[in-house]
Amino acid sequence: MALLLKTTKFVESQIDSFLDVVSDAAMTFQMAIEDYINGRIEQFEERLSQIREFEHRADDLRISIERFLYERTLIPENRGDVLAILESTDEIIDNIKDTLVQFSIEMPGIDPMLNDLWLQTTRASVAAVEQLVYAVRSFFRDLAAVNNHIHKVYFFEREADHIGEKLRRQIFGLDIHLSKQCQLRDFALHIEQISDDAQNVCDQLAIFAIKRQL
Amino acid sequence: MFFIYLLSGLYLGWSLGANNTGNIFGAAVETKMIKFKNAALIAAIFVTLGAVLEGSGASDTLGELGSVDALGGAFTVSLAAALSITSMVRSGIPVSINQTIVGAIIGWSLFTNRLLDPQSVVTIASSWVFAFLLSAVIAFLLFHLVRPIINRSKVHLLRQDLFVRYLIVAVGAFGAYALGANNMASIVGVYIPVSPFKDISIAGIYTFKGTQQLYLLGAISVVIGIYTYSHKVMKTVGKDIFRLSPVTALIAIFAESLVLFFFASRGLHNLLLRLGLPTFPLVSVSSTHVIVGAIVGIGLAKGGRNIRYDILGKLALTWIIAPILAALMSFIMLFIMQNVFEQKVQQETHYVFDRVTVTRIADEICDISLLSPVNGREFTSEREIYGELKTQEELNRESIVKIIAISELFPLEVSLEKLQESGYIHSFNDEQLAVIKTLEGRNYRHKWELRDALEKHSVFESVKEPKTGLQKNHNKELDNLFSLLYHSFRPGTGKK
Repeated sequence: MALLLKTTKFVESQIDSFLDVVSDAAMTFQMAIEDYINGRIEQFEERLSQIREFEHRADDLRISIERFLYERTLIPENRGDVLAILESTDEIIDNIKDTLVQFSIEMPGIDPMLNDLWLQTTRASVAAVEQLVYAVRSFFRDLAAVNNHIHKVYFFEREADHIGEKLRRQIFGLDIHLSKQCQLRDFALHIEQISDDAQNVCDQLAIFAIKRQL
Repeated sequence: MFFIYLLSGLYLGWSLGANNTGNIFGAAVETKMIKFKNAALIAAIFVTLGAVLEGSGASDTLGELGSVDALGGAFTVSLAAALSITSMVRSGIPVSINQTIVGAIIGWSLFTNRLLDPQSVVTIASSWVFAFLLSAVIAFLLFHLVRPIINRSKVHLLRQDLFVRYLIVAVGAFGAYALGANNMASIVGVYIPVSPFKDISIAGIYTFKGTQQLYLLGAISVVIGIYTYSHKVMKTVGKDIFRLSPVTALIAIFAESLVLFFFASRGLHNLLLRLGLPTFPLVSVSSTHVIVGAIVGIGLAKGGRNIRYDILGKLALTWIIAPILAALMSFIMLFIMQNVFEQKVQQETHYVFDRVTVTRIADEICDISLLSPVNGREFTSEREIYGELKTQEELNRESIVKIIAISELFPLEVSLEKLQESGYIHSFNDEQLAVIKTLEGRNYRHKWELRDALEKHSVFESVKEPKTGLQKNHNKELDNLFSLLYHSFRPGTGKK
């Protein structure tokens, strides 16, 4: 039983670390976009390599948590749900990385007129991910607060969609070649997608929270 | 010969392990909070501890139904009960040892022409229903008590899971201990008077009594039952009736343990009496009914939508079929035992209406003229006397039962050595033993004669017209002590 307590504490800390990594990745993503928009490309590349590390670390943590949950038969009733949440959340980091990698490869030219909209879309998406991290933490520690955070995720997702749409409209209003317009649209959609991913995890989380309730 | 007769008791023990352990750990195993092998190990350890340390005290209520007084009868009754359980267990439906034993004893009473007390049958059967309902109510209330705590808890899910796991193990272990303590007497208790086991002193520090060795043997049979067959019943309890979560499984086990404790604890019974509060009857209730009641209570607390009423209906039907099946099996097997194998399934009992008994009856119960159909005669069956006396309109059933008890010939020889051998000596305090010693070597023809002799001393004095619960309880405890003496002092009892 003492071993079980030790394992439990260890897995708890690993879950916390995993969520910390997700949160760090989201904030780093925001800073990377700011760097890119402001032309600090070297700093942007540094952020990208940081995110690559976060992604590896998140993968390692998730695999380790999965292994412990199954090997030590911890939370048998909620094990499947917890793993589903962790896997879906991990995918958000993957998407964040993929988005930045695309920026790094394609180096799309951003019109300074739209800087503010790019940043606002990014902030809304990152805020959705941060609220998701709160919601997941609450799922583990404070079930009553989960819905509150889920509500905020939905809010930021709508906000990201709204600003993203505005951004895309303005992109197609720019006097640039259609291929460039399409390229920028894809980047805008990539950023919006991050908040959509957060919302998808929340949809699962809302059901799992109901299941967890007595 | 003893070990051959003991086999049916051990078979019953196996049935207890296969069936009742499922009631305790079924929900926990099915929610994967504890692995089957761990649950089986904990159950094995605590059932054995409960049996060896506290496995004493035959069931009062079962005694009222009928006291099986011959080894051949005990063997057959146990076998009939165990066979009935096995047939039910094979179908994966949990039944109660209690139900089949009651059924088998009723079969014995019918076969041996004993008077069956319908009141006792009603009391026992209603206790099954009452325990079921009480358990459902407790689980329902516990659920509503625990729900806000769990839903508002700020303890990490993993930590919460760990606490629930600890509690399930602790409550389950307690339940297994209680199972061993309360049921072992029903399994091997009838063999105590003829047990060949001697006390073993371990380095002069601890004496491993012969009775405890017998209980240990019973416990081993329970453990074999746990390992070989309990998994199937666990599945029915933990999954088929209503799907439980770990927390609701804990609530179910806790409610079950509480109800078993309420109905089994003499300490609680006495405490409630002293406080002037209503008490629970001390009857042997079935852990099967109790756990199913708890699961239904939780199911109802959650809205009652997911309860498998078809399985519940099957269970309820089994509760009626099990005692009937056991009674029928017992009756047929007793017939075969007596007439084919020529084994004694009951002590020959004689009832005499001579000067001594008739005077006593006239003093205590009724006018001597009402005894005219039986006066001066000798009978060999209770039903015969009942048939003769029921023609007297002034005599009700209760009076006739008392008359039969007075007329029963039951030779007794007071001997402290025999009391020691029977293993019941520890039920008496020093003052009571001193009084019994003053009667050493005396012989009595009727139970009431010994009782009269003992009741002259304050330590054995009963309250003539008990009014309060405490007084009634005092008399009941004395009745139990007298039963132990009758059992021990009967010629032919003692170690062989």
